[in-house]
Amino acid sequence: MKIVGMDAVSKFYNGERALDNVSLEIEEGERIVILGPSGCGKTTILRLIAGFIAPDTGAISIAGELVSRDGRIFTPPERRNLGMVFQDLALWPHLSVKGNIEFGLKARGIPREERKRKIREVLDLVGMAGYADRKPAELSGGQQQRVALARALVLEPRALLMDEPLSSLDLELNIRLRKEILRLQEKLGFTMVYVTHDRDEAADMATRVVSMKQGRIEV
Amino acid sequence: MVRRLTLAFVVILLLVIGLLPVLSMFVKSVIADGRLSLAAYEGLLASVRQWTLMGHSMVLSSLVTALTVAVGVPLGILLGKTDLPWRRFFTLLFVVPLLIPPYIVAVSWFDLLGSEGLLAHVLGASATRTTARLLFGLPGCTAVLFSIFLPIPMMLTMIFLRTINPRLEEAGRLVAGWRGVMKEITIPLVLPGVLLSAMLVFLLSFGEFSVPNFLRYDVFPVESFTQFSAFYNFKAATAAAVPLAAVTLILLLAESAFLRERTYQLRPFPERERLPLIRLGTHRRWLFASAAIAGLVIVIVPLVVLVIQSAGIDAYAEALDRAGGSLLRSLAYAVAGATLLTFLGFFTGYLVQTKALRYWRSVDSLTIFLFALPSTVIGIGLISQWNTPWTNFIYGTPVIIILGYLAKYTALTSRISVTQLAQIPPSMEEAARVAGAGWFRRMAFIVAPLARRGLVAGWVVGYIFSLRDTGITMLVYPAGHETLPVRIFTLMANGSPQLIAALCMVMITATLLPAGIAWMVPAVLKRKVIG
Ligand SMILES: Nc1ncnc2c1ncn2[C@@H]1O[C@H](COP(=O)(O)OP(=O)(O)O)[C@@H](O)[C@H]1O
Ligand SMILES: [Mg+2]
Repeated sequence: MKIVGMDAVSKFYNGERALDNVSLEIEEGERIVILGPSGCGKTTILRLIAGFIAPDTGAISIAGELVSRDGRIFTPPERRNLGMVFQDLALWPHLSVKGNIEFGLKARGIPREERKRKIREVLDLVGMAGYADRKPAELSGGQQQRVALARALVLEPRALLMDEPLSSLDLELNIRLRKEILRLQEKLGFTMVYVTHDRDEAADMATRVVSMKQGRIEV
Repeated sequence: MVRRLTLAFVVILLLVIGLLPVLSMFVKSVIADGRLSLAAYEGLLASVRQWTLMGHSMVLSSLVTALTVAVGVPLGILLGKTDLPWRRFFTLLFVVPLLIPPYIVAVSWFDLLGSEGLLAHVLGASATRTTARLLFGLPGCTAVLFSIFLPIPMMLTMIFLRTINPRLEEAGRLVAGWRGVMKEITIPLVLPGVLLSAMLVFLLSFGEFSVPNFLRYDVFPVESFTQFSAFYNFKAATAAAVPLAAVTLILLLAESAFLRERTYQLRPFPERERLPLIRLGTHRRWLFASAAIAGLVIVIVPLVVLVIQSAGIDAYAEALDRAGGSLLRSLAYAVAGATLLTFLGFFTGYLVQTKALRYWRSVDSLTIFLFALPSTVIGIGLISQWNTPWTNFIYGTPVIIILGYLAKYTALTSRISVTQLAQIPPSMEEAARVAGAGWFRRMAFIVAPLARRGLVAGWVVGYIFSLRDTGITMLVYPAGHETLPVRIFTLMANGSPQLIAALCMVMITATLLPAGIAWMVPAVLKRKVIG
């Protein structure tokens, strides 16, 4: 099944074109990597899919449903059922690890006992079982990464959007976490949209690589 | 080396101007006939009246704080975080009452609701009996101070909203609507700002005495002022000022202890990135109407009342005749004060921002302490320090007024500088340094030009707050040097309402005109450059 469809999408910032007529289809279960130099529009694509911004022209659909078109958003982010790991992680500094993960579960109205169970499971999954009560500032970079993953995965999203999630880590940790993400993906089978500027990383993570340059997809 | 010396000099200046007077006042209050003595305090503690006054002050400040925070925070969110139409205009509108001397707002409400006010003319005197009774006393004081201090939680909420990393809210928006994101993420993140504003409003209304004085609600700071200006009992005035300083200090310490754990890295975000705005949708209309009505009642009605009350050439002719000198003096002192405040604030801000000296945090706290300190305390402190035969060149001249401005308002210009300097990458100064430029050269040609918007904003804010100052000036002005707010305040006892209203209008114009110009000039210049 097609999870995400972008149809002739263009996006402008203050009159400057950031995306130029981009069309892209993402199939269920695939690991697609969007590869390109800084400033080419990778983050913009993720933000369009997530629903933080609307395409100026063109249309976007998710799981067959039209979610935005020509400057208008029909389905807000919280009703798209997507997960995202941000480039700077965006862990909420005032909430504990548990609080960070619980926020989305609460918003979905999941009862307390079930929330507890899900938090425990997902923390086990990412190897952070003992850290539920820590604040993000009390974790190392790699640990924060795992929490961000857990926060995104706990809601079992249709697709996981990842914006250069490992770019702030040193190479060794970067490579180790690539393996872990792959292991999780294999186990859970979620669709993955992974953004990076690093060719090696792209080759490691992808079942399909899409190259971008200056707001266009290169063929 | 030059840098350290200059900054150390600025710190010493702040200590001499701000801290020393408070300490000297405290020391003098516990010494009698060359010996340690608490006599002044015994009188204070023994009197039932003092406790009543303290109670009044606490009740008034608590009410004002609760109301301003309860309204100001949602208002700040509405104006800073949603797509409400005209939100910029509303922001400016609600700020106006904070910019003019507080008692002017009280005068205006009196002109509307008082027994000889406009309402009485229209509806007959009996109709205003209740309104006048409510105005004079706790309800009136609370309402007037509420309208004056409302912009503080409003603005601080807006400022703190801008420091939140938009990604944090977006991460929440992936899974929850705005309601949930506001409740669990945004509001907890602006909480330090809300607390800061609550504390500032509490302390500012605690120290404000011109409004309670005019509306005849007796509060604690009036005591110090009366002891000094009516009975010339400096000892008693000092003893009455010390509890005010103590309350300020205790609250500030409590706040910093509480906030220490809660200050997350709040860095301003790149300007090009817009804050994620809440779309009001169907709520737009009634929220717009509510904001408009609130602005009308809180700001526009009082201004219009003054315009009506003062209408006619005569009132203005008399106003200029009787207070023209005060107006010119006020303008001169405010310009001098603003200029010095800009300098002092720039260097203090630079020190705080770059953490160039080890005790930068104490310097920051000191300026905040002085800003929150009731004007009476600063006034009495200045007198206590400079009223000596050798320092008459300060005590007997307008210099003492300017020192008062610098002591109280450096926090404002310093904070503005910190915000502006935080936007300049350290590499700018470093590059100049590598190029061989000394510190003064780097400051003058690199840092200051890059921070020019902050400097202009600081100057305007310094000007407005110097000009509107009533509390300090009223205590310290040398004979023949009174400023316009003080002159109006004294004329209020016997001047006609027309005259007072005209004077208030003159005062408001003098305050808002430069702010308006400073606000328009960049826009005009920009248009010229582009067009
Ligand atoms: N909020 C914004 N305002 C203005 N320009 C932006 C904004 N976001 C991105 N851009 C511009 O759009 C282009 C694409 O940016 P982005 O999608 O972030 O690229 P990437 O993630 O590939 O580095 C860049 O030229 C960037 O400067
Ligand atoms: Mg990017």
